[in-house]
Formats: sequence, C-alpha cells, structure tokens
Amino acid sequence: MKLLTHNLLSSHVPGLRPGGGFPLKIELGHPSELPPEPLPDYEANEEFLRRLHHVLLEVEVLEGSLQCPDSGRRFPISRGVPNMLLTEEEA
Amino acid sequence: ELAAVIGATVPTGFEQTAAEEVQEKLGSASRISRDRGKIYFEVPARSLPQVHRLRSVDNLFVVVREFKDYQFKENKEDALKDLEDLVKKLPWTDPLQVWELNNSLKKKKTKRKKHNLQSPASREKPSDGGEEAGADQNNTNDQEDCAQTPVSVEPTGDQDTENAQGVTPRNGVEEEEEEEDKEQSDVKGGAQERSESGAKAGEGHTGEGEAKVLRFRVTCNRAGDKHSFTSNEAARDFGGAVQEHFQWKADMTNFDVEVLLNIHNNEVVVGIALTEESLHRRNITHFGPTTLRSTLAYGMLRLCDPQPTDIIVDPMCGTGAIPIEGAAEWPFCYHIAGDNNPQAVKRAANNVSSLLRKYESKDSSSALGVPLDIIQWDICNLPLRTGSVDVVVTDMPFGKRIGSKKKNWDLYPACLMEMGRICTPGTGRAVLLTQDKKCFAKALSRVGHIWRRAQTVWVNVGGLHAAVYLLRRTWERAEETRPFW
Repeated sequence: MKLLTHNLLSSHVPGLRPGGGFPLKIELGHPSELPPEPLPDYEANEEFLRRLHHVLLEVEVLEGSLQCPDSGRRFPISRGVPNMLLTEEEA
Repeated sequence: ELAAVIGATVPTGFEQTAAEEVQEKLGSASRISRDRGKIYFEVPARSLPQVHRLRSVDNLFVVVREFKDYQFKENKEDALKDLEDLVKKLPWTDPLQVWELNNSLKKKKTKRKKHNLQSPASREKPSDGGEEAGADQNNTNDQEDCAQTPVSVEPTGDQDTENAQGVTPRNGVEEEEEEEDKEQSDVKGGAQERSESGAKAGEGHTGEGEAKVLRFRVTCNRAGDKHSFTSNEAARDFGGAVQEHFQWKADMTNFDVEVLLNIHNNEVVVGIALTEESLHRRNITHFGPTTLRSTLAYGMLRLCDPQPTDIIVDPMCGTGAIPIEGAAEWPFCYHIAGDNNPQAVKRAANNVSSLLRKYESKDSSSALGVPLDIIQWDICNLPLRTGSVDVVVTDMPFGKRIGSKKKNWDLYPACLMEMGRICTPGTGRAVLLTQDKKCFAKALSRVGHIWRRAQTVWVNVGGLHAAVYLLRRTWERAEETRPFW
C-alpha cells in the first residue's frame, strides 16, 4: 500500500461519530524522510518535491496494519494489500 | 516509400475510440467499416512497430484489396469461380512486402512468456495450471470475429432482451457460439502435392541457402443473406487458386502466411494477417473466470477521458485487467483496484508483479513505482473518503458468469449509491460494463439525483451482448457522515 492510497482511506466501522475514521493510523516503525511541516515555497523546492513524490508513490507498506482512530479496529496489511473487509457481525 | 493499408479488428462498439487512438499515435485518419469491429487506416510501412503498440486493437492485417460493392453471381459455381479468378488479378506484391517486414519485426521481439492463448491456428500455448476457464474464455473471444451466420439483420433497438446469445441482433451480425455454425474455414491440403523446388514468385526466398516454400492457409469470414456459398467453400476455392498462383503449400496449423477473405454482404476485403495471436490478453498472465480483454479495458478507460492526477478506481477489479491497463497507459493518473474475493485480489497482485517485472527488464533505471494499489474491500461499503475519487470504471458482475440475476437486483443499486458517494460531485464520472441491462436501468432510475447517463456503447463480451454506460456525477453532494475529501 502506498501513502497516497492511505490518504484516500477512511474507516467504515459502523457507529462512528460524523466525520470519524480518518486518518487511519499506520502502524509500522518507519522513520519519515520528510520535515515535520512543509517548508515555505515548497512548490519550487525541487529536493522537497522529490522526497515527497518518493514517499507518496514509491514507498510501500508491505506488512503492518491500519488502525481506526475512533474505534481502534485494526485492518491488516499483508503483502502490500490492506484487507478492509468488515466481519458479518460488524457490518 | 512502401505504404500499407492496415485493417484492425477492435471490440465492437469501440471503433470510434480506436480511430481516435490511431489519429493520436499514428496521425492517420481511419475509416470505420460497415463490418462492425473493423477499422482501416493507411500508414508508411516503417510505422509498423507503432501500429503493433496500439492498445485498442485486437488483430491486425494488411489489406491486399478492398471491394466496396462486389457483385456476386447468383449461381454458386459461378460465384466461386469468380473468387478463384480474382487471385491472379490482385496486387499482392506490396502487401507481401509489408508482411515480410512485419515478420522481421516479430523476430526482433524478445521472447516473452507465452500466455495461455488459443489462436484460430489452434496452436497450444502452455497453460497456467488451473486457469483453464480463462483459456476457454479467451478462445471464445478469439473466435468472436470469425463466427457468423447466413443472416444479416439490422439492430432492432430492443435493449431489454435477455438471453441474447445468438438471438438478438446487435451489431448487424448475429454471433453464435455453437461449433457447427462457426464458419471459419481453412484450406485443406490440395490433391496435388508440389515439390519443394517448385517455388515461384520469389516470396519464399529467405535469401540464404535454398528457396523455402511458404506455407499458407485461407481464413474466410462471411456474413450476409444473399450469398450462394458458404465460407468453407469460398476458403477452399480461393485457397486452391492461391496455391496455384504462388505454388505455396497449404497447411492449416503451421502456416507462414494467413490469407484473410472477409465477406460482409457486398463488401469484400482480401488481406494478410500481421498478428498471429490476439493482442488483447497482453497484460494478464494470471487469468480468472471472467478476465476482461485489455482492448476492451482500454476502450472503457478512454471513454472516461482520464486527466493527469485523476484518481481512478475499479471497485470490482477481478484479476485487475482495467487498473493494469490504466496504470500502463495513463501513468499520470493514480489507479486503485479492489475486490472482495481473496482469489481475485491475489491474481490481481500477481498480474501487477508480472507487469513490474516486464518493465524492470526493459528499463533498469530507478525503481519507478507503478501508480496502482490493490485493496480487499466490499463494494457496498467502501473504505474511501466521500468525494475523493474522480473516475469509477468497472466490469459489473454478470448474472450468467458470476453471481446471479437475483443478487444483481440488490447489488446494483447499492453499488451505484456507494460509487456515487466516493465520486467527486460535478466532475466525476463512471464507466460501467454490464450485461444485465434491465437491472442496471432500473437501478439507475433510483439514483437519478447522483448519476446521469451520458453515453451508451453496445459491446460484445465473450458472445454475450453487453453495454458500457458512461455516467456523469451530478453536483449534488452525498448526504454523509463519512469523512469528506
């Protein structure tokens, strides 16, 4: 799973508060190569854009999980594919 | 400069799309034939490599001669004699040169892993384990453009007919799947056996060593209700004359030259095949029971008019034919594929890996990620933020092949609602392929506040009459408690 995909995902566990379930927490000890905040004029900063592109599109989470920030429900990621299926009871 | 008039077979309904691709990539205008599923365009012979890279084309041939209005004699013997006499009058030289050039191109291509295809030449390709269903499906697709009936009927416009196999005329030609109706014919070896040294006309010369006698076969496709002969007979007699004229050897399975005789009412086209296996399964190495051919996937994607940075989602991706074609052809969009079936997800992931390996071997520079991700999910409850997706494109389950008609009744409205939720209001669009047109129309009527029908393309998928719907997302925002984009 790439970071750009993560940006589009939200938890669909029933019964969450309105607007809840986003963002899912990626559980994986991976240090970020990005500064904590975008630098001023980041659109023109080639080096920053390169790092951003790399992190969004070229880094993959292969094993780990996504955790719903409201319910705590974990969705496993295996071989790069998140399993977002809810169980019969949950749905 | 050697020029070639190229004939291309494309998924019926997507002739216009294919013509656009030809214009875009080759700069040539195309003629769309009345014989559905074919377009014609002229290019310099040196453009052949680019022609082979077209994504909307299933098969290619070089045209020897086209007759817009051929007058067939009423009497069978006379009509067939005319066809025989035609052979020596045709301008074979240039097209055969194009064929030779095409051959040298084929040799240059690096050996790719052979996919489990069955071409009309009935060559057995290695099959991938338990993927027989996929192979059968592909075989059906390959035979599609060879099947025909004696009767040619105009489309009735009746779109609600179910059980369309062989009954509802859709494209002006009925297509039936029964073996005995398939009129693809080959020339059997003639009674006279010519010796190898008898090669004439120079086409058999390889240039080194002995002159090689070419082996050939004739494939005839015939459609129309006024012909006094069958395609079998035409292929046989035409082939006999070809053999006589060139002193080639007739061989049904191991041929060098495949001569095509396409007869559609009074339109007759004589051509020489340039592709031996259909291009349409090019991206897929792991088949599923209903794998969509890449050319159809390409046509559907073009219909969406993808723009750079568009997020394109296939929420029922199966083995991933659509998103894989998408990522390959529109790398500046971002493609997300999902399915609830673990088998499908696994196959899709494998297909993506195969694709990655293919690109890696070609260009071993920096590891450019493929802009494609796969997720296991339920179409009725997608884990995507509201309004976060620009395009939804998918092959909806057909009652006959996956799921059931009753299930579709409940599934389709739920799908359309959820697809409407994730799609950007106003600019979003969906391109959906389905055979269950009745169910779809009913489901669509219930979601008119979210989706408007913009265009319908009638297509043929594995012998089943289906439709591709282009829908536009209305400006109305989804009523939602889910997080918005």
